[in-house]
Amino acid sequence: MTAVCEMAVAALGTVAFALLFGVPALYYPYCGLIGGTGWFVYSMLAQGFSEPASAMFATIAVILLSRIFAVRKQCPVTIFLISGIFPLVPGALVYWTAYYIVTDEIALAARTGFLALKVAVAIVLGIVFVFELPQGFFRFAAKKDKRALKEKGRKKR
Amino acid sequence: MNERKEEEREVLDAAMLAGHILLENGAEIFRVEETMDRICRHYGIKSCSSFVLSNGIFTTAGNEREEIFAKVQHIPVSGTHLDRVAAVNQLSREIEAGSLTPHAVKERLDQIQRMPGKSKKMQILASGVGSACFCFLFGGNGKDAAAAFFSGVVLYGYIIFLAGPHLTKLVANIGGGALVTALCTLLYKLHLGEHLNFMIIGSIMPLIPGVAFTNAIRDIADGDYIAGSVRMMDALLVFFCIAMGVGLVFSLLHQFTGGGFL
Repeated sequence: MTAVCEMAVAALGTVAFALLFGVPALYYPYCGLIGGTGWFVYSMLAQGFSEPASAMFATIAVILLSRIFAVRKQCPVTIFLISGIFPLVPGALVYWTAYYIVTDEIALAARTGFLALKVAVAIVLGIVFVFELPQGFFRFAAKKDKRALKEKGRKKR
Repeated sequence: MNERKEEEREVLDAAMLAGHILLENGAEIFRVEETMDRICRHYGIKSCSSFVLSNGIFTTAGNEREEIFAKVQHIPVSGTHLDRVAAVNQLSREIEAGSLTPHAVKERLDQIQRMPGKSKKMQILASGVGSACFCFLFGGNGKDAAAAFFSGVVLYGYIIFLAGPHLTKLVANIGGGALVTALCTLLYKLHLGEHLNFMIIGSIMPLIPGVAFTNAIRDIADGDYIAGSVRMMDALLVFFCIAMGVGLVFSLLHQFTGGGFL
């Protein structure tokens, strides 16, 4: 129950940031769905895996969904990707690092800062891997329209 | 012959403008190059080649049959308007599919450039909602989220009315981090929130450079190393500045209160 509730909050937060980035209102539901799913995957995995690992798998989920919706809606993947990935960016860890530095707990600060870096690298890996998949892989998501299909074949993403 | 020259010029101008809009509003380098290329090729200009950096576009065209054209445009980094990116993308599809004249394309692009963004009130509200949501997600309770909503609203007011038009990026982000920390500490002292840390984490979210970070990675993955590293630098600098702002206020408070409040 809490997980579903958190997912809804994450979706709402993602939509709020989508608005800040000027995403057309038409795409808000998809942004929300992607952001919520990303957070859901992250918080589920975080119980068993390390933070970087869960961040990576959550990123992979976010980007797979973003690419599917981008093909489906025929719009740039950036629209879904940027707001969807927002809940995963290690802003909180950066904060804790600053906090520990100020409170003179240098060892903790170093560890947290390094963790933030690891999470960032994990996100990078997730993004890079999923974008390596060829566009044809996502063709199943396209609306069944022959002309659009042919056009897709030529476009990379 | 002259007409053809005129048309070529118009096409190249349109391609340049399309690239300008995309780059300015947060598209990847790859998309900018591809869109410009596609517009040129659709109208039969084969000799066009463009080089895109994170804040500038260089385009040249010309061979024995086509007129020589060269243009350099500096494009300062500004806000992200993904609706414009989507609109240019849609237009580029229409160009490929249909019979738009170069002049019509230019007009459409001018329209896209003037597309109104979301109103300031909506943006400020969205910032508050986003802050509250992330405060809750990172472990705050309802009261903390309400406080984060308030400081998120104040923060975005600061970004729109003070930081955006008057301050440089570095100072703006240090100031933003400091503002949020000071405000949250105040709210915490007034017992309007129970977990200071979660309140601050939630309300600094609108400052986090998510666009620069994501685009940097994608540019580097596409092999656009220069633009990618400039954007990554931008993202890291902003992260660093936010942390500085937070740290600054914390250590000041530490000095004055002897560390009792943390």
